[in-house]
Amino acid sequence: MMITKSELQPRADLYRLLSRLYRVEVDQPLLDALKELRFPQAENETLAEGYAMLRGYLDSCGPEALDDLAVDYATVFLAAGSADGAAAIPCESVYTSPKKLFMQEAWEDVVRIYREKNLARETDHSDLMEDHLALELEYMSLLVHQRAPQDEKYFLENHLLNWVPQLVADIDRYARVDFYKAVGRITLGFLQMEEQLLAALTDGTLRQAPSYSVRAERMDKILAQLKERYRVFAPKRIPKRGPKGTDLIRYGEIDRLSDIVYKEKSHFSAKEVFYPISQTMFYFTGESASQKELEDERDIILIARPCDINAIRRLDNIFLHNGQSDLYYSRMREKLHIFMLECRESFDNCFCVSVGTNVCDDYSVAIRIDDICALAEIRDEDFLPYFEDEVPIEFMPEFVTQNRRNARLPKIRDRQQLGEICKLEYWNQFDEKCIACGGCNTVCPTCSCFDTVDIIYDETSRDGERRRVWSSCMLRDFTQTAGGALARKTQGANMRFKVLHKVYDYNLRFGGSEHMCVGCGRCIDRCPEGIDYLDTVNGLTDALAAAEKEGN
Amino acid sequence: MTNIMLPTPHRILSVLKETQAEYTFRVEYDGPTQHGQFFQLSIPKVGEAPISVSGKGEGYVEFTIRKVGRLTQGIFGLQPGDMLFMRGPYGKPFPVDDFKGKDLVVICGGTGMAPVKTMLNHFCDHPEEINSLYLIAGFKDINCVLFTEELEKFKRQEKFHTITTLDNSSAPGFETGMVTAHIPKVPFRDFADYNVAIVGPPVMMHFAALECLKNGAVEDKIWVSFERKMSCAVGKCGHCKINETYVCLEGPVFNYSRAKNLFD
Ligand SMILES: Cc1cc2nc3c(=O)[nH]c(=O)nc-3n(C[C@H](O)[C@H](O)[C@H](O)COP(=O)(O)OP(=O)(O)OC[C@H]3O[C@@H](n4cnc5c(N)ncnc54)[C@H](O)[C@@H]3O)c2cc1C
Ligand code: SF4
Ligand code: SF4
Ligand code: FES
Repeated sequence: MMITKSELQPRADLYRLLSRLYRVEVDQPLLDALKELRFPQAENETLAEGYAMLRGYLDSCGPEALDDLAVDYATVFLAAGSADGAAAIPCESVYTSPKKLFMQEAWEDVVRIYREKNLARETDHSDLMEDHLALELEYMSLLVHQRAPQDEKYFLENHLLNWVPQLVADIDRYARVDFYKAVGRITLGFLQMEEQLLAALTDGTLRQAPSYSVRAERMDKILAQLKERYRVFAPKRIPKRGPKGTDLIRYGEIDRLSDIVYKEKSHFSAKEVFYPISQTMFYFTGESASQKELEDERDIILIARPCDINAIRRLDNIFLHNGQSDLYYSRMREKLHIFMLECRESFDNCFCVSVGTNVCDDYSVAIRIDDICALAEIRDEDFLPYFEDEVPIEFMPEFVTQNRRNARLPKIRDRQQLGEICKLEYWNQFDEKCIACGGCNTVCPTCSCFDTVDIIYDETSRDGERRRVWSSCMLRDFTQTAGGALARKTQGANMRFKVLHKVYDYNLRFGGSEHMCVGCGRCIDRCPEGIDYLDTVNGLTDALAAAEKEGN
Repeated sequence: MTNIMLPTPHRILSVLKETQAEYTFRVEYDGPTQHGQFFQLSIPKVGEAPISVSGKGEGYVEFTIRKVGRLTQGIFGLQPGDMLFMRGPYGKPFPVDDFKGKDLVVICGGTGMAPVKTMLNHFCDHPEEINSLYLIAGFKDINCVLFTEELEKFKRQEKFHTITTLDNSSAPGFETGMVTAHIPKVPFRDFADYNVAIVGPPVMMHFAALECLKNGAVEDKIWVSFERKMSCAVGKCGHCKINETYVCLEGPVFNYSRAKNLFD
C-alpha cells in the first residue's frame, strides 16, 4: 500500500492548528475560521468524540464565547485563580519530572533534538519553554513536511505520548467549557492515530508514493503505451462549439499531453465520460428486449480536477446505493482509474474550498502539467511501470486553498423549518427570471436525473431501442403526469427543489458531512439569464436569518 | 448483476373492458406481489409507466389501466396473446399485517381502487382476519364504475360496510356525493384500533384525510398512496423525489404523518 503525499498536508495542518490553540487564547479570526471548518470523519473514537464536541460548542456558542475561552485558557493552562497551582500546565517536564518542575530531563532532551535539527525558537515564541506542547506540536508539523517518519516516530514515542494522555485528563478536569475538553480529545486521538500510521510507515507496510518529472514528449509516449490498455479522457478544446462561437471545453479522448486543457475550467464536467448524455440501455427485437453490451472493454483513465473527482462519490450514492445498483453506471464506474489534475488556482465562480471539495485523496496518479513537462505522483502500483524510467523527483500535489467566492450554506434545523423555507417569498423572484432551459443541470458534475426515451427505426416494425437521456429538474414538465398535472408548478418551486437538493436533501438522505454541490461554479458560468447559484444559496441563508429575526 | 432497467415480455391472457376509458389486462406472471405495489409496464416504441397491481391469481396479475396518454393508449391497442413488457414489482406495500385484527377503513376514488383491490379481496376471502371493513368507493358517474362484480361481492360480505357513491348523480345501489360526504358515517370513535387507507387523485386524498381527522381519526393511522411522475421506479431518475424522499423506493404508500411533511 502507498500513502500519498497529499495526505501529509492535512496532518501537518492539524499539528499546526493544535499548536496554535495551546500557544495563546483564541481570538476572533481564529474563532471565525474554526466555525467554518469542516471536520473529517474520524475512525479513532477519541478523535471523533473531540470533533463532535467542538462542533457542538462552535454551533451553539454566543457572543460571550471569546471571553469564556480566555478565562478557561488562563484557568486550565496558566493556573490562574488557583491557590495551589492545580492546572494542566502544558510543558512536558512538568509532567515527567518527579517534582513537577520546569526544565528537567525531558526539557533538556527536547532542546538537544531541536538543536540537532538546527532549530531555534522564533522570537514571538520566546516566552514558551521548548517542551511546551505548542512547540512540540509545531516540531511535528515540520517533520511531516520533511518526511522524516523515523524522527516523527521517535519524538512521538519518547516525548509527546509520554505526557499528553495525562495532560488531556487534567484539561478535562479543569476546563469549564467544552471547547478545551474537545481540543484535548482531538489532540489525544490524533496522536494515537499518528502512532499507528508511523508504525506502518516505518515498518514498510506503507510507503510513500514515488514521483517523477516527465518531459512532454516522454509523456506522449507514456500516453501512447497507456492507450493500449486504457482509454484516456481529459478536458479538450472543441473550437467554436461553445456559446456565441467560443470554444467549448469538454471531456474527450486525448492522444497527447498538449490535448489537455489545463489552464481553463471545462464547460462540462467529467461525468459524461462514465454517465453519457444519451445511452442506449437495450434493444427491442420482435418480442424480446436485449441489453446493450459495452463496445469497448478497455479500462478508462479519467484526468479530472478535485471537484469533479469528489462529485463521483455523489453520483455513486445515487446509482450504486440508492436502492439497487444500476448496471449501466456500475460497469463504467468499475473501469475508472482517476488521474487527479492538480488544481492550484481558482477560476471564476469556483467555491470549492467553502464546501470542502478542493482536496481529494482518491486517485491513482496525481499530475501537475505545464507546457514542457508533467510531474506525476504514482499512488497505484499498476501505473508504476509506465513511469519508472523517468526522472525521480520530490513532488507533492497542492490544492486550491482559497477561492474568490465562498458559500455560506443554510443550517436547517428541522422539518418544520424546511416547511417554512418552502413557503418563503424568496423563491418567487425566479418565476420570471428562470427560462427553464436546464443548462445549469446539464453542466453540473453531480446532477444525475434522466428520462427514458424509446427510439424507433421504422414506423412499421416493432424494433427499436430504449435510451436514457440526461434530464433536468429545472424543466417545466419534469414532474408532469398525465393530463398535464404538475407537482411543482413554478420556476421558483423548481429552483427551491434544485437548491435544497444540493445543500440539504442529499446530505439528509446519505448522511456524513458532505453536501451534493461541489462548488465548481459551472452552473453560474452557464446560466443565460445571469442567475447566480451561489448568490441564490447565500441569499437563502440570509433570507432564513431574516425570517428567524422577524419570528423572534 | 441484475439489470434493473431491463423489462421482460409477458403474455396478455385477457382484456376486460370495465368502462370506456378503463380496461383490466390479465397478464401471465408467476412471482409474488404485495398489496399496493406496482410494475413498470411498457411497449416498445412508446414508453414505460407505473401501473398498480389490481388483481392477482394463480399464474397471473391484473392491471386496470385508464387511457390518458400515449402509452396507455398503446396498451389499449393490445389483444390477448400480445406481449406486454414488465419490470417489478416495485414500491412499499400497505402494511397489511398491521391491519389484521383491527378495523379497516378504505376510501378510494376512480382508478384509485386498483391499488387497494387485492387487499380488499384478501380480507373479503379471510374475514376472520379483521374486525370490520368500511369501504367508501367513489366514481364520477354510473359509466365510470369499475369492478362491478367485485363490488357486489364486497357488499355481500358481512364484515364489510360498503358504500359506493357517484359524484353528483344517482343510480340504484349507489349513494350520491363525493367520498368525503360519507366519511362521517365511519364510527372512528367506536373503534378500539383501526387503520385508514386512502387512494385517489391528490385533491381527493388531501380532503379525505382532513375529513377523517375531523371525524376523530389520528394521523398515524392514515395511509395514502402517492402518484408521481416516474421514469425508473428504482431510485435513479430523480423524477419522483420530494425533499429527501424517493416515492418509488419509500412509497408509493406513506403514513400520513410522514406524507404531510413532504413539501413539493
Ligand atoms: C405508483 C403508481 C401507480 C399507478 N397506478 C395506476 C393504475 O393502476 N392505473 C392507471 O391507469 N394509472 C396508474 N398510474 C398512473 C399512470 O402511470 C399514468 O396514467 C401513465 O403514466 C400515463 O402514461 P401515458 O403515456 O398514457 O400518458 P402521457 O401523459 O402520454 O405520459 C407520458 C409519460 O409521463 C409519465 N407519466 C405520466 N403520468 C404519470 C403518472 N400519473 N405517474 C407517473 N408517471 C406518469 C410516464 O412516464 C409516461 O411515459 C399510476 C402511477 C403511479 C405513480
Ligand atoms: S456549483 Fe453548480 S454546477 Fe457546480 S456542483 Fe454546485 S450546483 Fe453543480
Ligand atoms: S441555466 Fe439559468 S435559466 Fe436555465 S434553468 Fe438553470 S437557472 Fe434557469
Ligand atoms: S421514479 Fe426514478 S427515482 Fe423514483
